[in-house]
Amino acid sequence: MGVLLSGLKKRYRDGTDAVHHLDLDIASGEFFSLLGPSGCGKTTTLRMIAGLEEPTAGTIHINGREVTRMDPGDRDVAMVFQSYALYPHMTVRQNLALNLQAQRVARQEIEIRLSEVAHLLGIERLLQKKPGQLSGGQRQRVALGRAIIRRPAVFLMDEPLSNLDLKLREQMRTELKRLHQKLGITTVYVTHDQVEALTLSDRIAVMGAGEVQQVGSPTEVYECPANLFVAQFIGSPGINLLNATPSEGGLSIGPWPLPELQVTPPQREVVIGIRPEDIILSEPKGGTLRGSVELLEPVGSSIFVFVRLEKGEGVAQGNDRVVVGLSARQPIVVGEQVGLILRTERIRVFDPAGPALQASEWSIREHRFA
Amino acid sequence: MKFRLWKRFGDVLACAAVAFWLLPVGWIALTSIKPTTEINSVTPVFWGFTPTMEHYSELFSRFEFSRILLNNLLIVPAATLIVVVLATCSAYALARLPLKGADQISLFILSFRFMPGMLVVLPYYLMLQEVRLLDSHLGMILVYVAFGLPFAVWLIRGFLLDIPPELEEAALLDGLGRFEIMWKIVLPLVRPGIAVATIFTFVFTWNEYLFAFALTFDHAVTLPVQLSKMIDAYSVLWGPLSAAVILQLLPMVAVVFFIQKHMVRGLTLGAVK
Repeated sequence: MGVLLSGLKKRYRDGTDAVHHLDLDIASGEFFSLLGPSGCGKTTTLRMIAGLEEPTAGTIHINGREVTRMDPGDRDVAMVFQSYALYPHMTVRQNLALNLQAQRVARQEIEIRLSEVAHLLGIERLLQKKPGQLSGGQRQRVALGRAIIRRPAVFLMDEPLSNLDLKLREQMRTELKRLHQKLGITTVYVTHDQVEALTLSDRIAVMGAGEVQQVGSPTEVYECPANLFVAQFIGSPGINLLNATPSEGGLSIGPWPLPELQVTPPQREVVIGIRPEDIILSEPKGGTLRGSVELLEPVGSSIFVFVRLEKGEGVAQGNDRVVVGLSARQPIVVGEQVGLILRTERIRVFDPAGPALQASEWSIREHRFA
Repeated sequence: MKFRLWKRFGDVLACAAVAFWLLPVGWIALTSIKPTTEINSVTPVFWGFTPTMEHYSELFSRFEFSRILLNNLLIVPAATLIVVVLATCSAYALARLPLKGADQISLFILSFRFMPGMLVVLPYYLMLQEVRLLDSHLGMILVYVAFGLPFAVWLIRGFLLDIPPELEEAALLDGLGRFEIMWKIVLPLVRPGIAVATIFTFVFTWNEYLFAFALTFDHAVTLPVQLSKMIDAYSVLWGPLSAAVILQLLPMVAVVFFIQKHMVRGLTLGAVK
């Protein structure tokens, strides 16, 4: 039940591979996000489920029924477009009712559903207006209403919040969650905004380069990224990636030894990933790594400290800085020398080629406290 | 302040331009109701004469005006209708189908309109002769459709491209059939384009002289050709000519008047974003 994609592939006429090979099993009633950077194939996937793009290979099942070659209108799916795509020459009422009229639903039934949906979304007063007279947030609601009124098997949402300003977006995000809890309809949600995906979803498929990189709950993809791509894509600011090279007595990060970490085979290079909130600041001598504070980024409840490692060239991937997240407003100034203690139980270890190391391939020997 | 001054200046300029265009029309209208003696007076007479309809009645009695007017009323609306229907269909195909080089094809189609009419009038003559459609209504309709289509296709396509494709996709998902989408979504939104194309085609064919002159002799003669017969080697029949011009003008004014309300801008406002 739900939505089943097997071996889905899309190659466009110009030869670009939008989706390589996709297998996804989306449970009935689930809020499922396709998350990834632009061009990763997430929208193409959604459009294939909708029937707006024909898959080059593979099959699509919705609630156990194969719909791969079916017309969009026969699939029992409703889509909310990024641009809303409201019919500009029709009133809100006509926009909402068009589908039901096309399905030859009785007029009385249409009226009942109209008032239900209008009430649910608080758009009763807008029914006689045309889309051009509505604000962005109101259009968004109407677009949602047009999907909800149908009571479809699946909602498809293509970045529905990306045209709203920040405050409104947060508000609608909460509302979407409330609606999903109330209606319980399977939802496939496309977004490049990880906050949306993490806050809304039951499960997330992180996509990159036309493939699914990882499927998991928001906690899983955040805590246990399957590869470097996912690790880097999820989290803001991003995860710190440190190159660890073999030296006598174990691995070391640049000039700093990290004897707690054991990998098999022992003489291999790895990349260590650690989230900003899993690093503790200490006295310069007390830390595993050392550096000086270069930049402070307060974001209200927490503060991000950008530390430039001393003698640390080529250690941190990206820009040679390590980001530390402090929850409280600790007294800290730019230029200060600090030590960094890694909470070793929270580190993730990756092969430089990308994939995370299997549990059998690495271990932490002991915890070291400052 | 400066802006308002410019706007005033613009208003004055617009009035002047309108007056410049309306003056000859007014003069002709005046001439059409003046007695012949007043028309031919050495100093122009603008008022103080007794208005007369004699030129209008002469038109109908001497120049078969009702028959000719009927020809126009038959050929022009038919040609316009066919042009607009065909143009909308082909413009839709050119705007929406995944066609390689659709832009170039459209421009190529438009380029037929750059052709001087003189270039094709002889071929048209021979073709119509071959199929025995010279001096026939159908023949003239065909010629006008052929000549009117390119511009209409190009024009309507431009309007269609302004309609976001998502609207049609949304309609598809709403379970509408292709035909319903065309009827309920696309046509209402492309209405301004169709209105402009209708006006252009109608006005062009209504006034067209060259083809009508070359391809009709008697049965299917249209207004512009008949008008030219009022100027012969010896005299210009100013009275009937003016009356005919005014009568030729009226249907066009009516058409433009009724259609221009569809030429509203911003019809797709609120569709996306």
